[in-house]
Amino acid sequence: MANNRSNNQDYTRPLRRLILVVVSLVLLATFLVWRIDSPRVERFRAQVTDRIVPNFDWAMAPVTGTVNLFRDYQSYNRIAEQNQELRRELRKMQSWKEAALQLEQENARLLDLNSVRLDPRLTFITGVVLADSGSPFRQSVLLNVGARDGLVDGWATMDGIGLVGRISGVAKNTSRVILLTDASSRIPVTIQPSGQRAIVAGDNSAAPPIDFIESPDLVRPGDRVVSSGDGAVFPAGLVIGQVAADPGGRLRVRLAADYERLKFLRVLRSHPTEPVTDTANILTANDGTPAPENGEEVPASE
Amino acid sequence: MRGWFVVLGLATLFTHLLPLSAMSRPWATPDLMLGFAFAWSVRKPVYVPVILLGLMLLLSDLLLQRPPGLWAFLGLLCCENLQSRAKRLRASNFAAEWATVIALLVGTTILYRIILAILLVEQPNLGSQLIQTITTILYYPVIVFATHVLMGVRKGVPGDMDARGGRI
Repeated sequence: MANNRSNNQDYTRPLRRLILVVVSLVLLATFLVWRIDSPRVERFRAQVTDRIVPNFDWAMAPVTGTVNLFRDYQSYNRIAEQNQELRRELRKMQSWKEAALQLEQENARLLDLNSVRLDPRLTFITGVVLADSGSPFRQSVLLNVGARDGLVDGWATMDGIGLVGRISGVAKNTSRVILLTDASSRIPVTIQPSGQRAIVAGDNSAAPPIDFIESPDLVRPGDRVVSSGDGAVFPAGLVIGQVAADPGGRLRVRLAADYERLKFLRVLRSHPTEPVTDTANILTANDGTPAPENGEEVPASE
Repeated sequence: MRGWFVVLGLATLFTHLLPLSAMSRPWATPDLMLGFAFAWSVRKPVYVPVILLGLMLLLSDLLLQRPPGLWAFLGLLCCENLQSRAKRLRASNFAAEWATVIALLVGTTILYRIILAILLVEQPNLGSQLIQTITTILYYPVIVFATHVLMGVRKGVPGDMDARGGRI
């Protein structure tokens, strides 16, 4: 019988259709819930990632190691060239070292002038990069430190050299860092030496553009970009990179952090300013006691 | 065999998540999970039941930072379409199957972007997503080769028996 199976399917087809409708509704409901109440679903997503991705860790390490081995092998072939390159760079570095020492002295003098103290409360937690974002549309990495290490949303993350991104999404053992290159990343910065405020807005490219510069003429390629701490969102004074102009003339930031080789990241603890909860008590002129709160009686002074 | 599909899905996610480089890539990796789901749906629809497929697609949505549920829903509809056509596609050649898959993928991408635009959700870069669709389409023969040869998931031939001994 050529169509024996279709008889069976007559009984199972309605059931299959029902299951299909139910599963489709569940998926659509998930999407709508995400659209309506995004933080809850994002927390769910963070928990799912927390459960699954660390289990891949044991397998990712050898694979990543092998890939890096191939990359290094290609460079082994050019050892002699590399040697020459390194010598040249070393000479350049020495001249930069001199420049850095002079800048450091100038910096100290200027800071002295402003009487600004860099916050000594900026301690950090070190984390290891577990996984990529997995998608070319979001630039983010997963760290292996989470809520149990005391991480909180919004903290800044650096690698050894410069700012890398922000914590956005914390689960128990893992957390997600949105990189500066991601399209939804906006960082208020200061461009030294002109001192201009601007915003570094990521756009999924390797060098995020700088927006909202007041006078672009005062900014030249090569200027340093540091975080400005505006809005108490990020700590101030973190190195971000250098200004560069792309072929179209747009000013972009060449990031100081080494995005190709992100391994150990520091998450900077920045505690927000204390919120003001008391109402303002008005000191009256009579005897210095504060004015009564609603409904309280002022005791008659003796 | 369904367990193997789960293992395959997890292996696909694993390759997507490898922390090889944090730099943004101008090209987009093909959607291997959907590609393998299509290939298996055409060849042995029995091995990709709806619930399992829905779960794997939702998991890949969650882990790959897409708006959860939408791409999974559209992918599920496409797979169901392919499964209902499996009998017809069994008799035809690869070109017909590839043409169907191309049409489904393009339609899915367009529908995805339209729905996201209507609901005012931030969308991924149009260029990147187009490149992802195109690379998925171009990788489809490789995926089919892998399923046919390496995994042994082939179209039913007259005379095949299913697991219970009934004819397919």
